[in-house]
Amino acid sequence: MIQVELLTKLYGDFTAVNELSFSLQPGEVMGLVGPNGAGKTTTMRCLAGIIPPTRGTVNICGHNLATHAMEAKRQLAFFSDEPRLFEYLTVWQHLNFVARIYQVANFEPIGRTLLEELELADKVDKLPGELSRGMKQKLAIACGLLHSPRVMYFDEPLTGLDPMGIRRMKDSILKRARDGAVIIISSHLLHLVEEICSRILILKNGGKVIDGTIAEIAQKYSRESGDANLEEVFFRATDEPPRLP
Amino acid sequence: MIAALAYLQVHTVKNRLTMRIKRLKQPKYLFGALVGGLYFYWYFFRVLLFPRGINHSYSPITAASPADAAFYEFIGALVFFTFIVLAWGLPHKRAALAFSEAEVAFLFPAPVTRRTLIHFKLMRSQFGILFSALFLTLVSSRFGANGHWLMRAAGWWVILFTLNLHLLGASFSITMLMDRGISTWKRRLAVLLSVIALLSFVGFWIGCKFPQLTSADLTNFDTIKAYTQHAFASGPLPYLLFPFQLVIRPYLAPDGFAFLAALGPALLVMLLHYLWVVRSDVAFEEASVEASQKLAEKLAAVRAGNWRTAGKKLKQKRPPFRLHSTGPAFMALFWKNLINAGNAITARTWIFVTVFVAVMSFSMQGVRSNANLTLVVGSAAAMLGSWTLLLGPQMVRQDFRHDLPQMDMLKVFPLRGWQVALGEILAPTTILTAIQWLLIIVAVVCLAPAAKGKFSPSLVLVLGAGTALVVPIFNLISLVIPNAAELLFPAWFQTGKDAPQGIEATGQRLIFALGQFLALIVALIPAAAVFAAIFFAVKFLAGVTLAVCVATVVAAAVLAVEAALGVLLLGWLFQRFDISGEPAS
Repeated sequence: MIQVELLTKLYGDFTAVNELSFSLQPGEVMGLVGPNGAGKTTTMRCLAGIIPPTRGTVNICGHNLATHAMEAKRQLAFFSDEPRLFEYLTVWQHLNFVARIYQVANFEPIGRTLLEELELADKVDKLPGELSRGMKQKLAIACGLLHSPRVMYFDEPLTGLDPMGIRRMKDSILKRARDGAVIIISSHLLHLVEEICSRILILKNGGKVIDGTIAEIAQKYSRESGDANLEEVFFRATDEPPRLP
Repeated sequence: MIAALAYLQVHTVKNRLTMRIKRLKQPKYLFGALVGGLYFYWYFFRVLLFPRGINHSYSPITAASPADAAFYEFIGALVFFTFIVLAWGLPHKRAALAFSEAEVAFLFPAPVTRRTLIHFKLMRSQFGILFSALFLTLVSSRFGANGHWLMRAAGWWVILFTLNLHLLGASFSITMLMDRGISTWKRRLAVLLSVIALLSFVGFWIGCKFPQLTSADLTNFDTIKAYTQHAFASGPLPYLLFPFQLVIRPYLAPDGFAFLAALGPALLVMLLHYLWVVRSDVAFEEASVEASQKLAEKLAAVRAGNWRTAGKKLKQKRPPFRLHSTGPAFMALFWKNLINAGNAITARTWIFVTVFVAVMSFSMQGVRSNANLTLVVGSAAAMLGSWTLLLGPQMVRQDFRHDLPQMDMLKVFPLRGWQVALGEILAPTTILTAIQWLLIIVAVVCLAPAAKGKFSPSLVLVLGAGTALVVPIFNLISLVIPNAAELLFPAWFQTGKDAPQGIEATGQRLIFALGQFLALIVALIPAAAVFAAIFFAVKFLAGVTLAVCVATVVAAAVLAVEAALGVLLLGWLFQRFDISGEPAS
């Protein structure tokens, strides 16, 4: 469903992402982790078509993101860490706007259901300025889910959410994955990644240092030094990256 | 402790200056600084540095005679007095010293006394005051003020700093009154009654003791001035305004000796204000925390490019039309930007305004005695229309210029570049066109009677209709240019604390304005050439009216092709735009 081959992003002489390759199948949830400056956000932005990669290809549901951008983008949703909203559109106007952009016919019942799920049903006429940060995050999520994307990218999805919101977000991500969506989560919260991701990709200095399922990675590091949780794996991997096969 | 705060302030300014000097290595800042420097030199500094070489076309602000000096002093004192009255009457909140959120976070929990915080605030305000004093000196020099510029700058500093101290002291006193249960309205009533009492007293004295104002006193500016000078110099007014005159006097001093003589009393007034401020023991912390949060929100809004939201609360706006969930996707951007533009542009509003203006214009045309008025209204409409053609695209900015901070959201949408480009610039095009069509109707209706005998009614109608046909396409082209510039050089449009400021920003804006003007001229040349060729060919065969008609339609078609190419170019630039390569992202 997602196929990334030799994705590279350069800023002048600086390599932000270096020849990154991976593929994900329906239902997989991949955690993208790495220290600050590892290239996580740049990778996510390249995968979402926000910034063009310098080299390499990204295929979304069989559509090349560079050559068939419209078809590819219709299948995806990107949720940034900071909710990007138009300060002059109300909650409902946001949904109306997104529905037209993605051509979601008869969006009203879908929109209402989403707002109810996200506890925004009583805020339809509110502007983003009147919402808390968590509610803004929920509105951004409602906008992203309106067109039922098959591929979703979450950049630090739990930022600003209360405990109930965190629980709902985790459940929602897992539910979408069970329904066949592909999800990539970029986060520093390793316990979140460990809890809901089926695969992990650790980046360092723009390059891949580990890619595999939780079980594979745990097994690999357990062989070397007994039981290892993701936090230990992360520190070992980012301090002294093991050789990749 | 104050040394630490001074360290903070000095290094803040030093680092900011260093950063601005360092970035002159980038050509965009260097060229901006050069052009801006030349502009400021030519317009302001040349007047300061070589005053003899400049031919002033303005009458000097400062006085030529002692009577004039007194007159200007009284006028200045009255203005100062007005500010003071407003400072006591207007505020409705507790005293709040403006601190940034970082300053609140570091200084408020630290063992720093209120008095030290006040000193820090006063010290920091000096930079703004000195800048304002310099700016006002430059402006007053430009308009022909006398005396050495350093004296005038010092004079402005005395005025601004004393005013600043008074505003601060008044806010502290108002807070103390609030703490003692005196409400805002009671205080305002007291201020109002005091002002009325003073004015009544002065008015009563003028009525009883002063010669009656006659029509001879109102003959010209000199007679009015003479009467006012007389009134200012006698009775209670000189005593009432004396403290304010002391503050104004150094600025108006004609020479160095007069300046030094005036400076002592002015500094004494300033010192008294200073003592009043630093001895006030008012709890301003809570209100300052709230004010700093508001300031931070304002800065965040500005930094995000949302100047409109800075400092004011947005209200929910009615959509201009119902947006169906299917149809051309670019209409969603158009719809969104129209909502952004506000309630004023709903179709209902425009229909109402159009009908109202049209009815007014027709009714005025029917009244013979209003013939001159219709001519004035028609000319004003035509002038305003021309003005909106040139400056409108700079003022109506509900397009990429407003959406730059949201660019990553736009990039995710499954839209082609041209769709996003068209959707973005349609709203300002529509707004400008609506305004211009309205003005064209007014101009045609009002100027048609005056054109009788010179132009046939059909020609006037064709001219009006032709202009109406061309303006939307012209607007589209005009809007493509600044939007393309924004996508090509986004850092030049950067907002917030990292935005270019000062001389280099002025230079950049001048370069851009010139570039946009040139680009527009180049874009118009093909259409103008086609218009001229067809007009002269058809005029020869079928007369002026038909010639204008045919030439306008063909020229509009040429412009439409250019506009379409412009939208495609803008879309291509949008697709190529790499947000991550720009500091604004």
